[in-house]
Amino acid sequence: MTIGKTKRLSSSRLFGYWMCLPALILFTIFVIYPLFKGFYISLNQWDGFSSMKWNGLKNYGFVFEDPVFWQALKNTFIYAIVSPVLKNVVGLIVALIFVQPIFGSYFFRVCTYIPYTFSYVIVGVLFGWIYNPTFGLLNNFLTAIGAEELIRGWLSDPDIALFSVIMVDVWKCMGFHGVLFMAGLNAIPQDLYEAADIDGAGTLKKFWHITLPQLNSTLVTGFLLAMTGAFVNNYDVVNVMTGGGPFHSTEVAIYTIMTTAFRYSNMGKANAMSTILVIFVAIVGFIQLKVMTRDENYE
Amino acid sequence: MKNYAFRKVMFRIFLYLLMAFFLILTLYPIFWMLSGSLKTESEFFSNVWGLPHNPQFQNYAEAWQRAGLGMKFLNSLLTTGSFLLILIPMNSCAGYALARLSFKGKKIIYNYLLLGIMIPAGVLAMPTFTIVNEMGLLNSRVGLVLVYSGQAISFGMFIMRNYFISLPKSLEEAARIDGSSDFGAFVRIILPLAVPGIVTQVIFSGLANWNEYLRANLLIRSAELQTLPLGMASFANQDTINYPVMFAALAMATAPVIVIYLVCQKTFVKGVSQGAVKG
Repeated sequence: MTIGKTKRLSSSRLFGYWMCLPALILFTIFVIYPLFKGFYISLNQWDGFSSMKWNGLKNYGFVFEDPVFWQALKNTFIYAIVSPVLKNVVGLIVALIFVQPIFGSYFFRVCTYIPYTFSYVIVGVLFGWIYNPTFGLLNNFLTAIGAEELIRGWLSDPDIALFSVIMVDVWKCMGFHGVLFMAGLNAIPQDLYEAADIDGAGTLKKFWHITLPQLNSTLVTGFLLAMTGAFVNNYDVVNVMTGGGPFHSTEVAIYTIMTTAFRYSNMGKANAMSTILVIFVAIVGFIQLKVMTRDENYE
Repeated sequence: MKNYAFRKVMFRIFLYLLMAFFLILTLYPIFWMLSGSLKTESEFFSNVWGLPHNPQFQNYAEAWQRAGLGMKFLNSLLTTGSFLLILIPMNSCAGYALARLSFKGKKIIYNYLLLGIMIPAGVLAMPTFTIVNEMGLLNSRVGLVLVYSGQAISFGMFIMRNYFISLPKSLEEAARIDGSSDFGAFVRIILPLAVPGIVTQVIFSGLANWNEYLRANLLIRSAELQTLPLGMASFANQDTINYPVMFAALAMATAPVIVIYLVCQKTFVKGVSQGAVKG
């Protein structure tokens, strides 16, 4: 009897490990190992083919001396801050329409989410044409409404190209953030509004004093999700739409990493850049992780 | 009171105007893509706004052939399909163990696997390339699928674990009385209850990798292994391109996801509100 029980218990214990094993193996090989591998390569001079030559922190010196990398880092941060702000503002606006009990709001919600299912490549190619200076929709529209002075080379003017690219991402994601906010809005207890009605608060006042504070956690989640995503997704759009140009004005960090590695065959420097980027992203990611797991308890 | 009713009407008009604005913003580019795909090349440039005068349906046949869409669809299906076949059982097992079994080091394993949430897969692309190259898996579907699976674990495990935690406590006891082995009980009694969680993960992880570009672009070199996003990017970058044909290719590439989205619309909304999505 005792033997049977012990045996059962020990097999149960091992059972937990067996269940986690496949995930642990693949995770270690393809997430943790690259993390260290990238750092290790960054300490070497390496073209990707011949044998590595140790050169300590020299690659980091080269990276910091490289004005293109600074430019790319600046663009990455502009992208990673502006796009989450816009996505959340627009997302909140459309979500406020989703939850109205009016005819068409359901149809509206279904439609606004469609672009989110597209790949960045497709959205990028499509908007490359919408932005086309002569045949594109945007400039044709501006001509049609008589606003010729607003006509721009949306992707060829270095002052605005980055923002044109960001708007594509906002267009793709507004429905997604709308649905995220809709869930947040639906979770707000109705009696808060009823109490405010009794106090005679107006729509705007209710929005400012009840809706927004109650949406706090949705806002944080939406912002962080958009931000960690932005560090990566910007590569797809930039690669398809502008190739980093004009004059590096839309060049983002991952794009510079790719050109350093494959155009200039400098794997050491590319991995140094990549390690720097990982550190920045991990800081944002750590906050995101804390937010996601904040009300967890282990038993 | 009259003033109140008036304001209510005005508010409603304002809402509809706003709704119309966003609807045009969302749908017109899609409509433009569809109508552009049916024009002749000269009409594409002369008639920018409107519907095609004489719809050129052969653009679709030409696009399918010139972009090699059949092959790209097949590659995307194989890649996403095998990715899900690895990811879903693996994350279901790990998520279940970390949610409902007690064993030493569970908390450490859980936190270790969660590290991946901090690091979006794309920023690891550079060293991933080197590792896959060392394994001799560069330019192969197997390499791509393994990378996709390994780098999607954290988020999926997190979702599955949350799902398993929400199931009632008495399940395992029922299974034990039933006399099943641990794994048998998991597969026959617990897993069927987790189907909604699995469906959510299939849809969101599946869509994310169906649309994935950065790592595919890095790891796949030959045209015959290209997934749909890769194929579309290189098709659109050709120097001599017929634009209506390119738009037809875009339309065909988006059609399946739109259909799946419209059919599973409720699952998408539920998944987003449960936080099943990575940005």
